[in-house]
Amino acid sequence: MRRRRPDPVAIALGAFVLLFAVFILAPIVIVVVASFSAENFIAFPITRTSFRWYWRIVEYRPFLDSLITSVELAFASAAIGAAIAVPAALALGRARGPVVTPVTTFLLAPISIPAVVLGFALLYFLSALAFGVSFRSLLVAHSVVAIPYVFRTVLSVYRALPASLEESAAILGAGRWQVLWFVTLPLVRPGLFAGCLFAVLISLDNLPLSFFFGTAQTNTLPVVVLSYMQNQFDPSIAAISTVQMAIAVAVLLVTERMYGLRRLNAL
Amino acid sequence: MSARRPHRAAPLLWLAPALAFLALFFVAPLGGNLLRSLTEGQAQDDAAFYYAKLLTDEYYLSVMWETIRVSLITTLICLAVGYPVALFLVRHAGRWHGVLLFLLVAPLLTSIIMRTFGWRVLLARRGLLSNTLLDLGLIARPLDLLNDPVSVFVGLVHVLVPFMVLSIAAVLQGIDRRLEESARVLGASRLRAFLSVTLPLSVEGMATGAILVFMLTNGSFVTMLLLGGGKVVTMPLLIYQQFTMTQDLAFASAMGNVLLLAALACLALQVGMLRRRGMA
Repeated sequence: MRRRRPDPVAIALGAFVLLFAVFILAPIVIVVVASFSAENFIAFPITRTSFRWYWRIVEYRPFLDSLITSVELAFASAAIGAAIAVPAALALGRARGPVVTPVTTFLLAPISIPAVVLGFALLYFLSALAFGVSFRSLLVAHSVVAIPYVFRTVLSVYRALPASLEESAAILGAGRWQVLWFVTLPLVRPGLFAGCLFAVLISLDNLPLSFFFGTAQTNTLPVVVLSYMQNQFDPSIAAISTVQMAIAVAVLLVTERMYGLRRLNAL
Repeated sequence: MSARRPHRAAPLLWLAPALAFLALFFVAPLGGNLLRSLTEGQAQDDAAFYYAKLLTDEYYLSVMWETIRVSLITTLICLAVGYPVALFLVRHAGRWHGVLLFLLVAPLLTSIIMRTFGWRVLLARRGLLSNTLLDLGLIARPLDLLNDPVSVFVGLVHVLVPFMVLSIAAVLQGIDRRLEESARVLGASRLRAFLSVTLPLSVEGMATGAILVFMLTNGSFVTMLLLGGGKVVTMPLLIYQQFTMTQDLAFASAMGNVLLLAALACLALQVGMLRRRGMA
């Protein structure tokens, strides 16, 4: 058998991708390493390691409180987004007519609007409604952004399904709600979970949106860390960032395990 | 009886909650913004006051130009960096496919604080990059990349290039490789075959990615705030500053509307592209 000659183009591209990998991972790895530093400042190489900055997260109340707020907010807004977006996606999935495109565009629009603009506008609108700066306001703002993420993935999964599956169930005597519950919803579940995953990940780090609604009682993690960072620059920021990343990775892995995102082509 | 229609899981009425929610918490607040920019503050007497200020004052014009410039440069860098990566992902990755996909998702799993923190440690005057280059004797004096516009671009490209790679890869995936092979058989060099067959066929992926990256850069300010050292001032950063410092709400609203207009233009482009693809 003839050995294939190494392809110079593939090698060049591979080398480029290797550099790309260093570029992508370097700032992330640096922060994870810095979080285990024992010093009060950030210096490399790390000479002594410790967990003291992770303890600081627990001790410094604003970090822990805002982390909890952020996680609650992320899941609650994804749930509200799903409750609103799934019916809409199912209604539009097989609809025909001139309204389909404009309505679809409208429901996807919140993704495209700069979060600074949306946050600013919502702050004054919700204040006028006496929502003020509160967890409720945060929840409304994050739900607005969650809707398009869930809508998009559920819509694409539903559109890719043949209508015959639901029709078979209907012909075999299933009622409307039975078809919905036992056929349609299980089939669009990968889209639902992928959309919720995106919504949760975006919400966890939506600093420009959350920024406007912070109070001493309810503040999200990125807002708290941002103000901390403007006064101090110690490894506790690295530690809390690492924890936040671990949460995001865990959410991703659990969703992947349970619902096989790999089968989902719509990324 | 009417002709059989495909089964529908839900009637159009099920759109109502989504439409109502977004009408109340998305359209109404943005409408309020528009109204505020035309009727409050110094706009009480002259509705166009703030917009005239934005369009005639040299400082604000320069900020708008800077916003477009930063977005354009970021988009071009993402294109240049992202295309080879997308090509490798689709054509050569093989068993590395999964690893590369993970790489592309990794920045999205980290917080913006984490990424900018990492870049600050790397790019500072006494940072890792500067010190390493000094030790290797490649530079004579410490590099101060932090608080330089360069670091803003580094930070933006880092988080936005995955969107470009995925947009291009999605289109490259669908290109029939036999087309390029036919060109080769007919005597085209490898470069020629790539330039006149594959590259033109992937323009759509590049355009999709470019609009996305442009739009996302247009709206971001935290990277400029934390890495720019005040040297890169774009519209979103100015809105942030208006809000935190001067509290000129009507003016901030007007700036937000200009930014919104840019976003809507990008959205219209995007929709146009999607529709064309749908018909092709």
